Amino acid sequence: MKAKEYKPLPDQAAPISTIGVIAWLRNNLFSSPFNIAVTIVIVAVLMAIVPGMLDWLIFSANWSGTTQADCVKDGACWVFISAWSQQIFYGSYPDGEIWRVNLSLMLLAGVIALSFILPARLRNKVSVPAYLFLPFVCLLILDGSHIGLRQVTTDLWGGFSLNILIAAASIIIAFPFGFLWALGRQSDMPFARSVSVTCIEFFRGTPILALFFMGSVMLPLFFPADVSVDKLLRVWIILILFMSAYMAEVFRSGFAAIPKGQYEAADSLGLGYWQKTLLIIFPQVIKVSMPNILATFVMVFKNTVFLLVIAVPEMLQVIMAALSNSNWLGGHAIEGYLFVGFIFWICCFSMSLLATSIEKKLDTSHKH
Amino acid sequence: MFSKKTTEQIKFETRPSNLGAKSFYNNPKYRAWIYQSFLFIFLIGFFYSIISNTLDNMSAQGIKSGFSFLNTSAGFDVLMSLLPFQTTDSYLKVFTIGILNTILVSIIGIIFSTLLGFIFGIAYFSRNYLIKKIAIIYVEIFRNIPVILQVIFWYTVFNALPIARESLNLGDTIFLNVTGLYLPMLVGESGSGFVYTAIAVAIVSIFLVRRWATKRQEKTGEQFPILWISLGLLFGLPLLVLLVSGVPFHFDYPALKGFNFRGGITVIPELISLAIALSIYTGAFIAEAVRAGIQSVPSGQTEAARSLGLKESKIMSLIVVPQSMRVITPMLNSEYQSLVKNTTIATAIGYPELFTVFAGSVLNQVGQAVEIMFMTLVIYFCINMTISFVMNRFNKRSELTTR
Repeated sequence: MKAKEYKPLPDQAAPISTIGVIAWLRNNLFSSPFNIAVTIVIVAVLMAIVPGMLDWLIFSANWSGTTQADCVKDGACWVFISAWSQQIFYGSYPDGEIWRVNLSLMLLAGVIALSFILPARLRNKVSVPAYLFLPFVCLLILDGSHIGLRQVTTDLWGGFSLNILIAAASIIIAFPFGFLWALGRQSDMPFARSVSVTCIEFFRGTPILALFFMGSVMLPLFFPADVSVDKLLRVWIILILFMSAYMAEVFRSGFAAIPKGQYEAADSLGLGYWQKTLLIIFPQVIKVSMPNILATFVMVFKNTVFLLVIAVPEMLQVIMAALSNSNWLGGHAIEGYLFVGFIFWICCFSMSLLATSIEKKLDTSHKH
Repeated sequence: MFSKKTTEQIKFETRPSNLGAKSFYNNPKYRAWIYQSFLFIFLIGFFYSIISNTLDNMSAQGIKSGFSFLNTSAGFDVLMSLLPFQTTDSYLKVFTIGILNTILVSIIGIIFSTLLGFIFGIAYFSRNYLIKKIAIIYVEIFRNIPVILQVIFWYTVFNALPIARESLNLGDTIFLNVTGLYLPMLVGESGSGFVYTAIAVAIVSIFLVRRWATKRQEKTGEQFPILWISLGLLFGLPLLVLLVSGVPFHFDYPALKGFNFRGGITVIPELISLAIALSIYTGAFIAEAVRAGIQSVPSGQTEAARSLGLKESKIMSLIVVPQSMRVITPMLNSEYQSLVKNTTIATAIGYPELFTVFAGSVLNQVGQAVEIMFMTLVIYFCINMTISFVMNRFNKRSELTTR
């Protein structure tokens, strides 16, 4: 006799209220009376604000034209931005020489890309010198007088490219300094330690604006009378010192994250102090500190806007100068500030996303 | 005792002595001395050249040194001061006013940024999709835009407000226009001292009642409705005294006289813009800290609390938040300190805090950069050290409540 074949009943569909859009709405928007009320209020507020905002920003905004007279519609006057776009990105850098700024930016991008694509055995040998030479190469290209190009004095440098380049140049040079201060801070030599701690705490405890001010009013006094140091160079020095203090703290937490066994293994191999530090510890510190380094870079990048207080023509300063231009007295301040904010937001947000993804990749700990 | 030696010292001590490794320059102790004396000589030379250059430059430019300028009359007016100020007052008075204004905006900023930070940090864990998204959007937008741009933006928005005659009006008591925010001021008449005393008594008794209630709960397990009793004491007692003493208070309302408002409290637009920008910016960072703090509490804690039968609100207030404070407090500490440092951006809009009036206006007039920057920085260090001290005390307490 043939065994009766077991035939399960077909699966019943899940109740309509637990799947799909309805369930999502119920769980996420209308799960309790309080949530229902909150959802309704938020939606009402959004309905009241968003259409008007979008209309002003996009639909009735003025997109094309070259002068203020082209801004005829009610919305935002983006013509203001496009008319000033060259100054916003390059400052007063001479027209024919802008390729030099672009070249510097491309070199920066190239060096960063290089450090990701190079095979591991070449990475430290090539990337580290490439990074360290980069600021000086850019300096030569941008100034131009030492390499046979037309000299462009630093008061003409400006715009968003200046924000990027000075932030990058500072954090690159701050790397070795910060590393040295971090080593000093955890060293056994009492005097070296106290010097490092003093440096770190001083530059971390002082408002960056006060440091910029000191760079512009006090630093000239520190140099001999016959030496005059360029303003941008002084700002660079200040930013390097400021960043070094923050990088030292980043590295300190990096050192703390390296297991003690790594130091002991290096010792048992008979490596000396610098061999141990540079070959074993440093690469690991860089790896675990990467998210914090990025966060620090975001911070210095945002802080470059503070330079407007000492009249360095960075992006916001250019916008403010454009706002007081007699051809553009139509009150485009909101457009200008929104644009600067948007650019900075894009840059900083993408960097913080990158930092988070690196952090996730590194995080192998188990959640309890 | 072993751990106090460096690995280099241990290496040295355990090394066989016949290798000649005891030579002078291989001894880590002497090496440390040599390195440090190089550093010392370098620093001496560095500071010597800086100081001698500075003195030379200052004498060449005819800048005096010393602090005698502090007694000279300032000769300019300050936009806002918490103390009575005249243009003939000394630079020292300007200094004091700057400090007070810095402290004022710091306190306002700290209060509001903490509120915003905790609201949005906790909102991140809301079960409502919209609330959660709004919390994320708030943090990600305001954290990533330079604070100085934010303050200039708010100041521009403020300048777009209507003029005094058409000011925004809230029940004829609060007015907002391009020249500032006008609030009614509470003025005490004779007899108001009793009410102040009542408030003080209420606060002290709340502390005593809380202590007693905690002790009783530890002993007997009985709970005491501490929140309602505290609120009752805080509001009831002063209200009772107020009524008994015949309401010895009146409001001084701002009123439009001529071109502007008189009376009441005037909050200048610079202060408002700065406070808004700092609170929103720092609030975004604090929200992030609060989120990280709450996430740092292992989910086993919440599950254990649930299995004990605690209510969801009690789980938050008794289990999660006290443990997360251990992570949040150090971050709050550094956020508060950076808020105080960020008050210096006031110089972009002209709010007369320490940096703007002293390192700005006074420095412009006097030119004694070294003394003035020194005094300014000392104040910022002092304020930040106070914050750090208070927060560390607080952190000690929150550490005790954890395992």
